[in-house]
Amino acid sequence: MLAFSPYISSFIDQIIVSIPYFKPELTLIITFIGTIIASLFVDKYWDKASFTITIAGLLLSGCYLLGQGLSHVEMVGFFDMIHIDTFATSARVIILLSTLLITIFIQQRYQHDRPLGDLYAVVLTATLGLNLLTMSSNWLMIFIAVETVSISSYIMVGYFSSNKVQSEAAMKYVLFGSICAAVMLYGLSLLYGFTGNLNFDAPSHIAGLMEAPRLMISIALLFLLTGIGFKLSFFPFHVWSPDVYQGAPTVITTYLATVPKIAVVVLLSKLLAAWLAVSFYFSDFLAYVIIIIAIATMLIGNLAALRQQDAKRMMAYSSIGHTGILLMAVLVYQNNESNVLLFYLSIYALMNIAVFIFIDSLEVSLGNTSIDSYKGLGKQSPLLFTSFSIVLIALIGLPPTAGFVGKLLIFSKVFEQYQNFQSFGLLALLIVGALTSVISLFYYFKIPLNAFLRDNVDHYSVKSNPLLLGIGLFCTIAVILLGLFPDILLSLF
Amino acid sequence: MPILSLLIFLPLLATAFILALPTRYKSSYKYIALAFTAVQFVLAGICYAKFDASQTGIQDLAGYQFVEQLPWIRLDLGAIGKLEIDYLIGIDGISMPLLLLSAFVMLMAIGASWNIQKSPKGYFALLMVLNMAVMGIFCALDFFLFYLFYEVMLLPLYFLIGIWGGARREYAAIKFFLYTLFGSVFMLLIIVGLYFSVINPITGAHTFNMIYMMNPQNYLGDSIFAWDGYQEILGISARLIGFVVLFFAFAIKVPIVPLHTWLPDAHVEAPTPVSIILAGILLKIGGYGIIRICYSIFPDMAALSNWWLGLIGVISIIYGALNALTQKDLKRMIAYSSVSHMGFVLLGIASLTAEGVSGAMFQMISHGFLSAALFFLVGVVYDRVHDRNIYSFRGLAQLMPKYTGYVAVAFFASLGLPGFSAFIGEAFVIIGSFNAASVGTGLPRWMALAGSIGILLSAVYLLWTLQRMFFGEIRLKGGESWANKLTDVNSREQLILFPTLALALLLGIMPSLVFSNLNASVLNLVSFIQQFI
Repeated sequence: MLAFSPYISSFIDQIIVSIPYFKPELTLIITFIGTIIASLFVDKYWDKASFTITIAGLLLSGCYLLGQGLSHVEMVGFFDMIHIDTFATSARVIILLSTLLITIFIQQRYQHDRPLGDLYAVVLTATLGLNLLTMSSNWLMIFIAVETVSISSYIMVGYFSSNKVQSEAAMKYVLFGSICAAVMLYGLSLLYGFTGNLNFDAPSHIAGLMEAPRLMISIALLFLLTGIGFKLSFFPFHVWSPDVYQGAPTVITTYLATVPKIAVVVLLSKLLAAWLAVSFYFSDFLAYVIIIIAIATMLIGNLAALRQQDAKRMMAYSSIGHTGILLMAVLVYQNNESNVLLFYLSIYALMNIAVFIFIDSLEVSLGNTSIDSYKGLGKQSPLLFTSFSIVLIALIGLPPTAGFVGKLLIFSKVFEQYQNFQSFGLLALLIVGALTSVISLFYYFKIPLNAFLRDNVDHYSVKSNPLLLGIGLFCTIAVILLGLFPDILLSLF
Repeated sequence: MPILSLLIFLPLLATAFILALPTRYKSSYKYIALAFTAVQFVLAGICYAKFDASQTGIQDLAGYQFVEQLPWIRLDLGAIGKLEIDYLIGIDGISMPLLLLSAFVMLMAIGASWNIQKSPKGYFALLMVLNMAVMGIFCALDFFLFYLFYEVMLLPLYFLIGIWGGARREYAAIKFFLYTLFGSVFMLLIIVGLYFSVINPITGAHTFNMIYMMNPQNYLGDSIFAWDGYQEILGISARLIGFVVLFFAFAIKVPIVPLHTWLPDAHVEAPTPVSIILAGILLKIGGYGIIRICYSIFPDMAALSNWWLGLIGVISIIYGALNALTQKDLKRMIAYSSVSHMGFVLLGIASLTAEGVSGAMFQMISHGFLSAALFFLVGVVYDRVHDRNIYSFRGLAQLMPKYTGYVAVAFFASLGLPGFSAFIGEAFVIIGSFNAASVGTGLPRWMALAGSIGILLSAVYLLWTLQRMFFGEIRLKGGESWANKLTDVNSREQLILFPTLALALLLGIMPSLVFSNLNASVLNLVSFIQQFI
C-alpha cells in the first residue's frame, strides 16, 4: 500500500478529470439509486414515482450523451478503461432510446399487476452495463460489463415468472449464461497470458497474439467467442434463446432481443476492426470462424423459424437470423465507418420493438401467442395487422422499408470487400444472405396469411392499449419513412 | 407538367381517398378507382400523342422523353464512396406502348371488379397500389427505383390473390411470391455489383443510373463487371453470371419453361381482375426487363447467349401449347396459352433482328389485351355458375349467342388469324428469327419453324375448345338451373369487351400505330447489340 501512496494524488486527478466523460453513466447510477428509494418509500403514495424517476434519468442521461455526441471529441478516461468515440456515443443513444421505449412498454403493460420499481432499477443497471460495453476496450471492464448485463437479464427473465415454463426459461438462461461467462473468462485469462496486456487494441496486445502458439490462441479465441456468442445468440450458442424468448414475458423478450445485441455488436465490431487489420494466423482464424458462424447462424435461424407455430418463438429464430446479417456487417466494419452498422442496428431495434408490441397486444386479448390464433383477425383490427405486416416486410428486407435499405447497405459493404479481396467466404456470405431472405418470407408471411387470408371461427375482439399501439405505429411509419429517405437517419451518424 | 410522375402517383392518391372514406360509402370505391384510372389512361394517351417517334432511347438519356430527374438519396459512405440514387424516370419507344397498355388493362380490370363484394375497401386500395408499382416499373430509369417498384408490386398481388382468390389461394399466392422473390434477391446482388462497377462520369460517384450502366466507358477497369477485364466468379466470367442471373429474374415473370409453374396456379386461383392484370401487364414486365435491363446493360452477353434464349423461347412455345391442349379447366388452358404466346416474345428478342424485336414488342402489346380479354371471358361464365371446366358446358352458342361471338373473335384473334394483332406479332417474330440466320446472329432456322408449329397448335387447342363448349346440343353439368343463370353478356361486359377486340382488329390492320413509335428504339437496340456479335 505504501508503494502506491506517491501516486495517489495523480490517480485522483485522473479520476476527477475523467468524471465529466462519465456523466451519462453516472446519471444512470444515480437514477438507479433514486428508483430503488422511490420504489421503497414513495410508490406507496404515488405509484408512478419510480417510473417517472426512471424516465427522467434516462432523458437526462440522453441529454449528456447528446452533449458528448455534438462535441465530436474522442475521450479517454479512467486509465484507458473507457474510450468514448462517436461510434460509442451513437450506439449509446440507440440503446437509450430503445430502453426508453421498452420502459414505457413495461409500465403500460404491467402497471396494474404488480409493483415495478425493482424492474426499472434492473433495466437501468442493464443499460449501464451495455453503455460500458460500447465504450471499453479493456477486457476486464468488458467482462464486468457483460456480467452486469447478464445478471440484470437473469433477474428480468425471472421477474414475472408465475408458471413452470417461465421459471424454466429463467433457470435455463442463468445456467447457460454463467457457464458461457466462465468459459469466456478463461479465454480472457489465456489472452492476458499471451499478451500481458488487457487492452485489445493496444499494439502490445496484438503483438502478443501474433506470437502466441496456434493451438492455444485458437482455443482462447473460441472461448472468447463463447461469451460473446451467448449474448448475441449466434450458432452454436443460440439454443437458449427460443426457450427464453418464448418463456419470458413479452416485454422482457423485447428487451433481450433488441438492446443487448446493439452493445455486443458494437463491441465485436471494434474488436474485429482492431484485430483483422493485421493479417496473421489469429486474425485469419477469427475471420474464418466468424464467416462460418455467420453462415450457419443465418441458415439455422431462418430454417428453424420455418417450423415454428408460436409468434414469439418464431421471432427468437428470426432474431438469430438477423444476428447472422449483423455478423456480416461486423466482419466488414472498418474504423470510423460505423454508419451502415448503426443504421441497421437502429432499424433492427425499431422493427423488433414494433413486432413485440403487436405480439403483446394480441397476447393480452387472445391469451396466447400462437400464430394460428391470429386467424381472420385482420378484418377486425386492420390497423394493427397492416402495421404488423409492414414491419414483417421490413424484417424480410423488402422495399420500400428501411429493412431493405439496411440490408442493401450491408450487402454493398460486403460486396465492396469481396471486390477488393476476392475471398470466397464473402461471396458465400452474400449468397446465403440473399437466399435466407427468400426463406424468411415463408415464415414471416404466416402472420399476414393467417390474419388476412383465413377466416376465423371464434370472434375475439382485440383491444389494444392506445399508447402502445401508438408507439407501434410510430415505429412502423419510421420504418417506411427511413426506407424512402434513409439519409434522414444516416446523416446523423 | 411532370406527366410521368402524375401517371405513377395518381393511384396512390386514389388509395389515400379510398382508405380515408368510411366503409358506409363503400359503393363509391369503385368509382374513385375508375375515375383515377381513367385519368391515367388519358395521361398515357397524351404521352402517346405527344411522343416523338424519331427519338431513340435505350442507352442514350437524351433519346428519352418526358424525363424527370431529381436527386433522391445522397450519402457519403466512406469506403464504398458516395451513394447516388436519383428519382429518374423517362420513356422511350420500348416503354411508351407498354405504359399505354398498362393503363388500358387497368381500366379493364377495374371494370371486371365491378361486382366485388368482399371488403371492397382493401381490394381497391391494393389494386391502386399495384397500379402505381406497375407504372413505376415501366418508367424507372434508375435501378434502385426500378427495384423498389418491382418489389412493391409483389405485396398487393400476394394479398389480391390470397384474399380474393379461389380455393387453393394460399398456396398460389405464396408460390407466386416465392418464385418472383427468388429471382429478385439475386438480382439485388447483381445490382450491388453493377453499382460498384459503374461511375457517373460527371460526378465520379458510383451510381444506380441504368443509362450509365449501359455505357462501357463508365465501368471501372478492375471492377467486377468491367467490360475489358477478365473478372471471374468461380471460374465463370462475371459478366455472364450477371446476365444470366438478371435474365432468370425476369424470365420467371415471362414465364419460361421450366420456371412457369407458378403461372397456372396463380391464374386459376386469382379472381378475374387479377388474372387480367397478371396476364395483361405482369408478364410484360418480364419481357420489358429483359430488353431494358439484361440486353441493354449486358449487350455483349446477350449476343453471346441468344441461341440459348431462342431455345428457351421455342421450348416455351411448344410445351405451353401442348399443355394447353390437355387442360380441362378453361382458365388453366388460357394460362398455358399465355406461356406459349410469351415464348414468341423471347424468341423474337433472341433473334436480335429489327423484325424479331419489333415483333416481340408487338406480341407483348397484342397479348396484353387479348389475354386480358380471354380471362375476362372466362370470368363471365365463372361469375354466373362458378364452374369453368370445359366439359361442364356444351352448346353455349344457343344460350349466349353474343358471348359466343365475342369468344370466337377473341379466339381467332389469339390464334393468329391475319387481320388481328396477334398475327402481326407472331409473323414478325417468325420472320425475324428466320432472317437471323442470314444476318448472322446465331439463331438457326429450325427455331423459326418450331415457332410456326406453335401457331398451329394454338389453333388446335383454341378451336377445339370452341367446338367443345359452344357448339352442339345444350348439355350443362348444372342442368336447368344453369341454363337460367347463363344469361348473355350484359352491357357492362360488352363495354369492356368491345373496345378490346376492336383494338385487336385495329392493330391488326394498322400495326404502324405501334410500330412507328417502336421503330427508332428497336433499331437502336439492335445495332447496339449487333456490334458485339
